[in-house]
Amino acid sequence: MRKLAPLLLRLALWAILALTLFPIVWMVVTAVKPADMSQTLPPVWVFRPTMSNFVSVLTGKTYASQNFGVLLLHSLIVTVASTLLALLVGVPAAYGLARVRFRGRRAAATWILSTIMFPPAVSVVPIFILSARLSLTDTYPVLIVPYAAFSLPMVIWMLRSSIKQIPFEIEEAAMVDGLSQLAMVRVIVLPLLVPGIVAAALLSAILSWNEFLFALTLTRSKVQTAPVGLNEFTSMYGTQWGQLTAAATVTVAPILVMTLVLRRRLVEGLSFGAVK
Amino acid sequence: MTTSNLAHTNRRSVLKSGVAAVGGLLTASTVLGRPYLARAQAAKPSQLTMLYATVEADSDAVKTLLPQFKSLHGIDIAMDTMPYNALQQKVFAELASKSAYYDIVIVDAPWMSAVIDNIHPITDMILDSNLTDAAEFDLTDFIPKVFYDTAVFKPSASTVHWSQSGDVDAKAIKQGGFEIYGLPIQANALTMSYRKDLFEDADNKSAFQAKYGKPLAVPETWDDFVQVASFFTRPRKRLWGTTLMAGAGDWATDDFKTMLASFGGDGYMINDKFEPVFAGPEGVAALTFYVDLINKYKVTPPGTTSASWDTAATEFETGLVAMSMNYHTETLNASVHGTMDYAMVPKKVQYGPHFGAMMLSVNAFSKNKEWAYRTIQFLTGKASQAAMLPLQLHPTRRSAYEVAAKDPSYAQKFGNFYPVLGKSLENGVGRPRLKNYSDVDRSIWVAVNDAARRATTPEAALAKAAAQVKTQLAQAGYTPG
Amino acid sequence: MAIPGAATAGGAITGPPPPRYWVRHRVALTGWGLLAPALIVLLIMSVVPTIYLVMFAFQHVDLLGPGTKFVGIQNFERVLGDPEMWSDAGATALYVALAVSIQLVFGMALALMLNRKMRETNLLTALFILPLGVAPVVSALIFRELLNPVYGWVDFYLQSWGLMGDPVDWLANPLTAWISIITLDVWQWTPFVALILLAGLQGVPQEPREAAVVDGAGPLSLFWHVTLPLMRPFIAIALVLRAIEAFKTFAGVYVLTGGGPGTSTTLLTLDMYRIALQDFDVGAASALGICFLFALSFVMSRLLAVLAKSTDILED
Repeated sequence: MRKLAPLLLRLALWAILALTLFPIVWMVVTAVKPADMSQTLPPVWVFRPTMSNFVSVLTGKTYASQNFGVLLLHSLIVTVASTLLALLVGVPAAYGLARVRFRGRRAAATWILSTIMFPPAVSVVPIFILSARLSLTDTYPVLIVPYAAFSLPMVIWMLRSSIKQIPFEIEEAAMVDGLSQLAMVRVIVLPLLVPGIVAAALLSAILSWNEFLFALTLTRSKVQTAPVGLNEFTSMYGTQWGQLTAAATVTVAPILVMTLVLRRRLVEGLSFGAVK
Repeated sequence: MTTSNLAHTNRRSVLKSGVAAVGGLLTASTVLGRPYLARAQAAKPSQLTMLYATVEADSDAVKTLLPQFKSLHGIDIAMDTMPYNALQQKVFAELASKSAYYDIVIVDAPWMSAVIDNIHPITDMILDSNLTDAAEFDLTDFIPKVFYDTAVFKPSASTVHWSQSGDVDAKAIKQGGFEIYGLPIQANALTMSYRKDLFEDADNKSAFQAKYGKPLAVPETWDDFVQVASFFTRPRKRLWGTTLMAGAGDWATDDFKTMLASFGGDGYMINDKFEPVFAGPEGVAALTFYVDLINKYKVTPPGTTSASWDTAATEFETGLVAMSMNYHTETLNASVHGTMDYAMVPKKVQYGPHFGAMMLSVNAFSKNKEWAYRTIQFLTGKASQAAMLPLQLHPTRRSAYEVAAKDPSYAQKFGNFYPVLGKSLENGVGRPRLKNYSDVDRSIWVAVNDAARRATTPEAALAKAAAQVKTQLAQAGYTPG
Repeated sequence: MAIPGAATAGGAITGPPPPRYWVRHRVALTGWGLLAPALIVLLIMSVVPTIYLVMFAFQHVDLLGPGTKFVGIQNFERVLGDPEMWSDAGATALYVALAVSIQLVFGMALALMLNRKMRETNLLTALFILPLGVAPVVSALIFRELLNPVYGWVDFYLQSWGLMGDPVDWLANPLTAWISIITLDVWQWTPFVALILLAGLQGVPQEPREAAVVDGAGPLSLFWHVTLPLMRPFIAIALVLRAIEAFKTFAGVYVLTGGGPGTSTTLLTLDMYRIALQDFDVGAASALGICFLFALSFVMSRLLAVLAKSTDILED
């Protein structure tokens, strides 16, 4: 009995995992399947895998007007820039909220958190009109700033709790030793914040990488991102499942790899220092 | 456009009252034409940009023509495409932001009433001999029905249809107070595809003869259609009679309006006086028949009440159905080992396949209107349309259909498709002209979907939709009368 | 974990709260100075849109024509007088409630299982969070294909394993369509909830558990009376973050059901999209947006109350 329980647990876990990964497995299998097998039932499991879908997606040999590889590059630029922006403005804000006692601090903290509720479906039209008036449509900033703002409340709150977990005595001691405030933050605080920053950056990157509505509405071709391009594989004439799943696999892969590599930091960072 | 003049305008027949004003307008149009004569050679841009549909208007075919335009005029055409499901949003967003970025935009017929103020009318440029070689361009070659439904609108009253049916005549259009807002490039109509191999199979033929006492043939009426579809429905062999697109979406409205017109109703669904006319006896009979195909005769594959045009295409492609109705050429997967051809969508009292064309238009905010016009003139010209046939453009010119009929390679490649498409366009029924058509469209597809999955009866579903449509029309300022 | 002395001992950035007015002033400047860049970004994305929304909500805005004019509360009358908006608001609330509660239950179960030390725990954790990285547009398209009754794998395998008779047209029936959209969200977000709860489980002190085990508590009562109360802060965080995100759900449902069958899975975000970006009726869309924001800020205040009650993350 003692030995049976862990075995059952393992079995259950692997079974749930199989179920969870089923759609992803389907995606990858379809991407490497020859085109006329992708819809056949019973599902074909034994076939000679083909890379042709990946080749045509990444060399622009599809009916889409843009090479999907270029869209991935746009996505990469937007994601990296918006994540950096979120961290650049988020880290000082988190530090200020955690360490500096000033009037209105609490109200500011609550307001920052409450901006997270703004649905993109509501803000997209005003932002669209604004961007048209400022001639910002189809430029990088028009996606970078909103994406940074989408993840900023979460970034600030995750980092604020991480900072609060750093004993203040360490900072005091550092300053007594003659370090300037800025140097102290750089030398003492930032290294301790790395798990929190990694977790916040990863979540922020996932949000930006996968965003669809703003990307569809605010870009044309120069800044069009991968999720908008993915939509182009389905049309009135049917869906190009091979190309769609190949493009989707390529899109999902970097996020998956990053999640795999950074998962331990992610778990640490997600604790929000929430213990009461 | 104001509410008051709409209320008094009788759509599709405004020309009658317009004839009296012909003399005055004739002078006006000559005066209006003059600015173009004065600066016939507008500054030549090095590049023009065009917003186009991905597959739904055959961007692959258009792409092949762009190098030729470049070598003729030295102008690059940068073409961005969007799939149809995001195209309306994209086009409206571009026009709403009054952006000059795209010189040329694709416009689908039902959008025109909403965007009319943002599209540059090209009638004067068509009439300008410096910009248009009338003989070579030959406006009369366009299929009149397609041209009028897609491109001819009245600037002061965007809901009014042009009532004539003869050859396209830009002068007459101008004199009637109308304008040409673009040149049709892709004409879609509902056509039926069927599995030729199944219809020609000897066992099927004799079994059908034995069962129904008549030879197995491609159905021309809905009554025959039910028999043939029932005959081919063999769920155990994963074969069904036909596809339908009864899922919640634009496609369901289009299916319904085809049925409505063929059952003798007004396929436009909203009449000249802004009254919903789809919930009458013909509408109820048409929707009841449609629902019966799914639930009573059960000739459609599972999933029909959530199907859209892409699922219907896939079902035919993978050999699940003997017949299918859709808006484009279809193919069969190699693993199906079948052959196929096309026929008209069946009729009850008349043919009434849904049709709608897309046109290339000049963005009103473009800084290169003349060259944009030259581009669309080139892309929709006789030679261009013929050249795009092998890549399955659905032409808007009669000459292209003649080319397709003469050259046996097209019959070899696409079977009957082009003759059937040509005939379907002749019999096709367009959509009402309303700036809030997407609202009306949605109310109707919800009714069709509700009835198809038996959430309510066809009568109740249509009555509810008609009440909603009345409110929507009133909200848009369209008052009945 | 939290350092009780930090905030009070820290006070201002350099030692205990300074008494003199000008020093207080300088501290406030430092505080707001550190916040300013973040506040600017957030202002652009929340206050500016809100100003636009309020401005447009009282106008008939015709972006495509010359018809823009002041119409008073007509847009609100239209939006609030449309019975479908109320049923869609109900659907949105139901969606959030169902999706989030299922995610919390599943997430907790998964976190408990992953918290056991096994050889492959790390690998399992890594694999379990994969759905988090799939774009909603893609996962919805995949779900739609898998759920297709004639060529989807779900019906095929359920049938061939004898779990189902006739194929089910999942997206054509309100109940099964709801199961589908909830499953999509649960599939995508349960890993996220599990991660937060796992972080909590790993941070929970062991002493109370050990004491309870010594007192003879069974596994169930151990979970119910010891683990669950200790986990409350983490549950609260997961609940709040997921609830907010669930209210904003758009792409997944839009691609999977398009709001159908009929209008049964139409969430308010889908209405927003349709009115704003397909009809381009900016006035009505703004009125609906304002109503939605009002409702959301009420929900948000309740959620913040939950956070304040269960955690110290709102405290100074």
